[in-house]
Order: sequence, then C-alpha cells, then structure tokens
Amino acid sequence: MSGKTFFVDLSRCTGCRGCQVACKQWKNKPVEPTENTGSHQNPPDLSWQTLKVVRFTETTIDGKFHWLFFPDQCRHCLDAPCKMVGDSEVPEAIVQDPATGAVVFTDKCKGLNAAAVREGCPYDIPRVDAATKLMYKCDMCNDRVHAGLLPSCVKTCPTGTMNFGDRDEMLAMAKERLARIKPTHPKAELVDASSVRCVFLCPQPPSAYYKYVQFGDAAPPLLTRKALFAKVLRPLRAFG
Amino acid sequence: MEWNRREFLKIAGATTAVAAFGGLGFDLRSAQAQALEQADKLKFTKQTTSVCCYCSVGCGLIASTDKNGEGKVVNIEGDPDHPISEGSLCPKGASHFQLGKNDRRIYKVLYRAPYAENWEEKSWDWALDRIARKVKDARDASFTTKDAKGRTVNRCEGVASVGSAAMDNEECWIYQAMLRAMGLTYIEHQARI
Repeated sequence: MSGKTFFVDLSRCTGCRGCQVACKQWKNKPVEPTENTGSHQNPPDLSWQTLKVVRFTETTIDGKFHWLFFPDQCRHCLDAPCKMVGDSEVPEAIVQDPATGAVVFTDKCKGLNAAAVREGCPYDIPRVDAATKLMYKCDMCNDRVHAGLLPSCVKTCPTGTMNFGDRDEMLAMAKERLARIKPTHPKAELVDASSVRCVFLCPQPPSAYYKYVQFGDAAPPLLTRKALFAKVLRPLRAFG
Repeated sequence: MEWNRREFLKIAGATTAVAAFGGLGFDLRSAQAQALEQADKLKFTKQTTSVCCYCSVGCGLIASTDKNGEGKVVNIEGDPDHPISEGSLCPKGASHFQLGKNDRRIYKVLYRAPYAENWEEKSWDWALDRIARKVKDARDASFTTKDAKGRTVNRCEGVASVGSAAMDNEECWIYQAMLRAMGLTYIEHQARI
C-alpha cells in the first residue's frame, strides 16, 4: 500500500488563501466571524468549520525579514496518533482508507474525548464542534479522490504550491524541488517526509513558520500515554 | 518498411484523427466533467462551464447544478480544460458558490435618500426609473455641442464610466454603444486603472 500524498512546496506559496477558500467551498462550511487581529491571517486558527488555514508569520531570519505562509492542514500520518487514541476509546471512530491512506473522522467521533484526540496529534489539527461533539479535520477530500479528482485545495492552487498524487511520485517531486532550491535556500528541508502524507518543503527552518510544523517541535510528548497504550494493544486487537 | 516524410504524415494524421474524434457520437463531455459526477455530492448534477466574474484574467469555472431539484448550484470549481487558468482559482474565484447561496444576499432594492439615516425598500421599477432620470439629467446638463474654438463636438463631459470587469465581451460592447450614444468620452475599464 503506497496510497496518496500531498506535496506542499512552500517556496511557491504566495499566501493567496485559495486553498483555504476552496476547502470551505467543497465542504460547505460557513464563514468565521472576522476580527482584526493585526495579522493578515484570517481566521486566526483552525476550527470545526475551518479545516484548512494559511498561517501568516512575520519574522527575521539571519538579519533578513521574511513573511512566511504556511497552509496548515491534517498530515494524514502513515501511523496516525489520533487514530491510536481514538481506537483506544471507540474502535472505528477514526478510520484510515486503505486505498488512499486518508485518515478520516467518522460520526462515531461523538463518543471520543476530543481533548485527548487533539492532544495526541503532533500537529494540533483535530477540532470539535462543541454543539454536536462531532470532530472535524481535513479528510483529504477522500470522496473526490475516489472519483478521480484532486482534493479541492490542490485543484485550486494557482502557484503549484499544492500538489497531490501517488506517494512515490510526490516524494520524487519533493526531492527534486528540494535539490532545486537548496543552492539558494541552504536551510531548506522536507518535513517528516517518511511518516506523513502531507509533505511540506520549507525553504526556512520549519519552526519559523509555526510551532506545530514539525513532529516533536512543540513541547507535548510525542505519544501521549493513551496513544502509546493503544499502539501496544493494537496487534492484540487485530487478532482478538 | 522505410518511412518517407509523406508516409509518416499520412499515418500520423490518421492517428490524430482517431484520437480526436474517436469519442464523437458517444460522449462529448470532458473527462473532468465525468469524474465530477462520480463524487457523491455531485452525483445528480449537471456540469456547465462558465467564466469567473471578478477580475479580467477570466479563469474558467465548472458549475455543478442539481438535476432533480430546482437547478440549484451545488458546487463551483476551476475548469482544468480552460486554457487560461487550467483549473486553478484564487480565493475570490474559489468563493463563487457563496455568490449565489448566501444568507447575506440582498433580494430587494434598498434606497437611502440624500441626508437620510435609514435604508428603505423600493421596487425595481422605481429604482430603474430613478437611475434613468438621474443619468438623463446629468447628461443633458453637461452636454456640449461646440468647444471653445466653435468646433462641433457633441459630447458629454459631465459623466464618466468605469467598468466593468463583471461584464463579458458582448455586454461590454452593448454598454459602450449606449455610452457613446449619450456622448460620453470618458469611458474606462477598471482593469486598466
């Protein structure tokens, strides 16, 4: 099983937010109330109705000003910690499509401890609708992918930042792009390429974009006790 | 078999013809439109192509409308077969769906009289008559038949038009014909400003 993978080339992102809007459009999600937060980033964070958000960061790296854009979304981990947490509470609440590799939250997520699932995510992605207790995040537009279409965000991207396809193809493209920009961006790197299905090419150090870009950059432990427990139990469950 | 240029062109031509017309008579829709129908949300929809109404780039759209219902728009996204945008859309273009379906959409004419604080509902007839009246008055008041040197000019100097990127080529032609009939000389398009 190689499945599908996103390749997000941040050296090409202009922060237009086409992906963010296209996502909302396909998912029929309502708008968030807009407030001036002093940043062009809007809305300020992901939520149950904003599954993709372009994060804007103004920062100085080596004495030079940079305005960094980071289209944040679920990474669809090959071995998803959120699923480990979910499985330990309600089996099949969080499922992984064997064909595409998409990690999908189902209606059974109602029964999960949303805070624990979110805590288990190294990228701080899952969100819950307080009213319905349903959990939401990017589902890789799994319906579209099965119909032979690109995910909404990839389809709309005007700059070639968002790419999507078979995993080996995307990894090859990622490596090629990394080699291409290395001479001008010596700090460039591919983030967590071997463990996720949404590989970011960061021309600047990943931590400069946002604290949850790279696995383990942010403080919380890599696996919560619950997730670890679930992981240990998993083989048993498969046979039981 | 030795291929000379002529032979090669003949065979290449025939192959191209088969590739181009092979599907004719069965299905003229693009592969993209067929794929769209397979996505659950779009199963019972009809695909229509259109052009983005916002800026002058003119990106292509595919609008999916409900076949069984009242022709309501279900989804609008970029058209990959479009030569200009090849399926991509900026955030404004990608938001087309809410142009039609929006709880903040205004369905009635709202009018705020000079110095008034509140908006009042009016009919379309009232609004169109009033706009026509105002345009005619402004045009008549600023129409000049002769310039300073006594040459015949027959032009209207008091009205300018700026727009519109939301109009297509044909609409722009009709619009400018009307403006020139009124004698306008200041005819501009905001895409050039």
